[in-house]
Amino acid sequence: MLKYILKRLVYMVFVFLVVTLLMYSLYNLIPSDPARAQVEPMRNTLKPDQYEAMYKQIRLEMGLDDPLLVRYARWMGLAPNHLGKYSGLLQGNFGYSNFFKKPVIEVIPEPMKYTIFMNIFVTILALGITIPLGIKTAVKKDSRLDRGVQVISVVGYSIPIHIIALVMIFLFAVVLRIFPVMGMKTPGSNYTGMQAFWDLLYHVTLPVLVLTFASLGSMTRYVRAAMIDALSMDYVRTARAKGVREKVVIYSHAWRNALLPVITIIISWFLGIFGGSTITESTFSLNGMGRLNIQALYNKDYELALAIQLFYIVVSLIGRIIIDLSYGLVDPRVRITK
Amino acid sequence: MTNQQPKKEYALLRWLKRGFFGAQRELTILEEEALQSPFQTVLKNFWARRISRISVIVFVLILLFVVIGPLVLPIDLGYQDNTQQNVPPGFNMLSVPKELQGNIKMIAPGPTYGVGVDNNGKVHTWGHLRVTNVITLEDIPQEVLDAKLVDVASGYDHVVAMDDQGAMHIWGNTRLGQAQLPNDMASAIRKGEQLNIIQIEAGNQFSAAVNEEGHLYLWGNSNLNDIKIKKAYQGNVAKVATNINTYFILTKDGEAAYAGFQQNAYSTVPEAAKSGVVDIAATGFTNAALKEDGTIVIWGNASRGERNIPEHEGKIIKIFGGRNHYSALTDKGEVLSWGGNFFGQTNTPKADANDPVEQVYTGFYQNYAVTQSGKMHAWGLKGYLLGTDQFGRDVLTRIINGGQVTMTVGAVAVLISLIIGVIMGGIAGYFGGIADMLIMRLCEIIGAIPFLPLMLILSAIMGTRVSLEQRMYIIMVILGLLSWTGLAYLVRAQILSQREMEYVTAAKTLGVRESGIIFKHIIPNVISVIIVTATVSFASSMLTESSLSFLGFGIPPPTPTWGNMLTGANDSIVIQQYWWRWVFPALIFSICTICINLIGDGLRDAIDPKSNER
Repeated sequence: MLKYILKRLVYMVFVFLVVTLLMYSLYNLIPSDPARAQVEPMRNTLKPDQYEAMYKQIRLEMGLDDPLLVRYARWMGLAPNHLGKYSGLLQGNFGYSNFFKKPVIEVIPEPMKYTIFMNIFVTILALGITIPLGIKTAVKKDSRLDRGVQVISVVGYSIPIHIIALVMIFLFAVVLRIFPVMGMKTPGSNYTGMQAFWDLLYHVTLPVLVLTFASLGSMTRYVRAAMIDALSMDYVRTARAKGVREKVVIYSHAWRNALLPVITIIISWFLGIFGGSTITESTFSLNGMGRLNIQALYNKDYELALAIQLFYIVVSLIGRIIIDLSYGLVDPRVRITK
Repeated sequence: MTNQQPKKEYALLRWLKRGFFGAQRELTILEEEALQSPFQTVLKNFWARRISRISVIVFVLILLFVVIGPLVLPIDLGYQDNTQQNVPPGFNMLSVPKELQGNIKMIAPGPTYGVGVDNNGKVHTWGHLRVTNVITLEDIPQEVLDAKLVDVASGYDHVVAMDDQGAMHIWGNTRLGQAQLPNDMASAIRKGEQLNIIQIEAGNQFSAAVNEEGHLYLWGNSNLNDIKIKKAYQGNVAKVATNINTYFILTKDGEAAYAGFQQNAYSTVPEAAKSGVVDIAATGFTNAALKEDGTIVIWGNASRGERNIPEHEGKIIKIFGGRNHYSALTDKGEVLSWGGNFFGQTNTPKADANDPVEQVYTGFYQNYAVTQSGKMHAWGLKGYLLGTDQFGRDVLTRIINGGQVTMTVGAVAVLISLIIGVIMGGIAGYFGGIADMLIMRLCEIIGAIPFLPLMLILSAIMGTRVSLEQRMYIIMVILGLLSWTGLAYLVRAQILSQREMEYVTAAKTLGVRESGIIFKHIIPNVISVIIVTATVSFASSMLTESSLSFLGFGIPPPTPTWGNMLTGANDSIVIQQYWWRWVFPALIFSICTICINLIGDGLRDAIDPKSNER
């Protein structure tokens, strides 16, 4: 088992390095000259030759003339910068946001908090609905309920999230006027403590509903399929033949075995909602990671965008390793074949 | 697998059938099965389900709609018209009220509406009269309803009317000085002097009036429009015509002159129009002068064929200007129209020698002609089936052409991912070992790249460096390049299970090459699974394109797609008041993706009989 974990971890590090290198070189394709941007304000106070010397100096300090791999290593914190110090990602230096005029590490926590806050609600709601529904439809296969849910779930996963958002806004914010159309807090309000929390909750309810609705379709289908597979197993028949109560058969025998594929799906779905929340956040003007990413790209604040990208990559890699480990833990065959 | 029993038929019917068509031996189930290839079985099973049938039919209809539609309704990407902004669905722009027909004194066509005065001096309005959220031309002031009107003119967002006392009435959008009469005019009206106005005109937030003495009054938004008059022309004006931001005049000496102070495309009047002119008119971007001999001189930015005066009999005696077309009346009572014809505004009614046309009213995209007997013909823009967007573009045209773009992007992306996925999955599954390891790691790397954020960066990198068309192709290719991993995993798994099958061993013993075994023996056996995945990923590619375009990082406007048509719709005003801008694209897109997914579902069930039992 240990060997298996180690192997997966090594793979992950490898994948991480390759993906980040890819990202880093992509960002380097963007035509920009940070050194020029930094010396530009001093253009009027310096003589032309001084200015040029200053520009060259800063270029050297930033290491802009080095080959891509060296710059990547420096950015990663695997190679020393011009001062001979290691100051990169591994040392906790995520870069500097040109738009917010402060280090990226100080910009990110607030939006990340909101995104995670929102996604926790979505997760609880979505799982709370889809798991019981999936089990119910699997048990009562081909019933009217099952067929209805099947059709609705196709509709659910066929409609893009921004259309769901538009319809929800129309229903809840425009027609019923229950929730606000957009924003994070009541304009002009200055709440603190519990009041601020309720205000935030009131504003994120609609986005949470949208995200939940968007994930219902596919999740219900996965749970149902996994459950049907488990219910058709011999041990379920044996349990029923022994006279075990149906509830115990379903929840104890079948559901436990259906859990493994469901966990896989839940984890990759959880990663997916981070991507999905990009659209929701920008539709509802919520100050989350996704919207920050889009804003960073609009504002040409590429170091910030790169850091957010990194966040997404790390989240997806961690998710993947959890999937692999839980598989390896539960299913011994996986360990042997890999 | 079909369990259909041969149908029970009445004995008599069967006997008759045998008698006329010869004996038809009824097949047993086994025989029926034997005649069907697995592929046929799949199709038959698929078609047996009602929901699959319906979704195929709906999808094919949508496909035909977006494939044939652009031929019928081609899109002009450069077209926009701010006078046609946010017009709701409907066809009421030419619906002249019954009370006015046969009793017309005057009609003034506006951008999306019409205002008419009948012979009793009563005002009538029709069409889309809303100017902004709060201003609508339907709110006619009581004084106008009480007055006996003799003349009316409609501008972009306001209406000017004159009653028999010579008083001016203005309603509609009056926020930019549209209702602020010039001082000399206002004081004359206050003093109760007769102004003897012979013509009133209304343009883009400005209005003009000419009186008998040849004095021209101009008022309205002077920041936008050139509405001053040179002293040399004042007192010598016979007629005024307005185009988008300027006006020009016909002097009493028969000269067409630009009397304002700006230098622009209209200020240099051609030599030919400087004498012997009897009538003038203007479209949005051109001016025209009609000469005594019936010839027409046109200057300005004629980009929609305003200069292509058609062949005609008789002499032109009057000329009228629309938004980008002209209409003219000949001495034989015939109407001619030429210029931009995308709303049928130059499809003039057939001439009737017994009932010649006496008067023509043309404006924007509408024309009304009244014959000697009082009969009225109306032609031009009736309205928009699905309304217009914020730039005045027809939503239906954009849906049709946008569908073509969205579907093409989805199809090309799927094709690319299909090719790469099948080849990679085939190699990984069949050869195993190092090839498998490398390909799986590659899949892992690509899988670790969060899709949407990556696309956002890529389009930021592309920026303005690539043309719109190139950008579209790049997006297709990237979508394809990033979405093949799922298919590769699937093909690999399928091949792993097929590799041990006997027919593969047989092929090997016969000495078939490795690539031959994969692509000629194994792949055909797993093709149905591949088709299902391709169907579903077609839908998801369309979804991704739409999300990207919605965020503004996909295919940029003015090229329409079902995604970018929704950009800017997340606004409570748009959602509620301009609902047609998002409801229709959202609806057709959702129906399309639902159908594709249902087809995929149906195919999956048809292929895998076990899933039927699920």
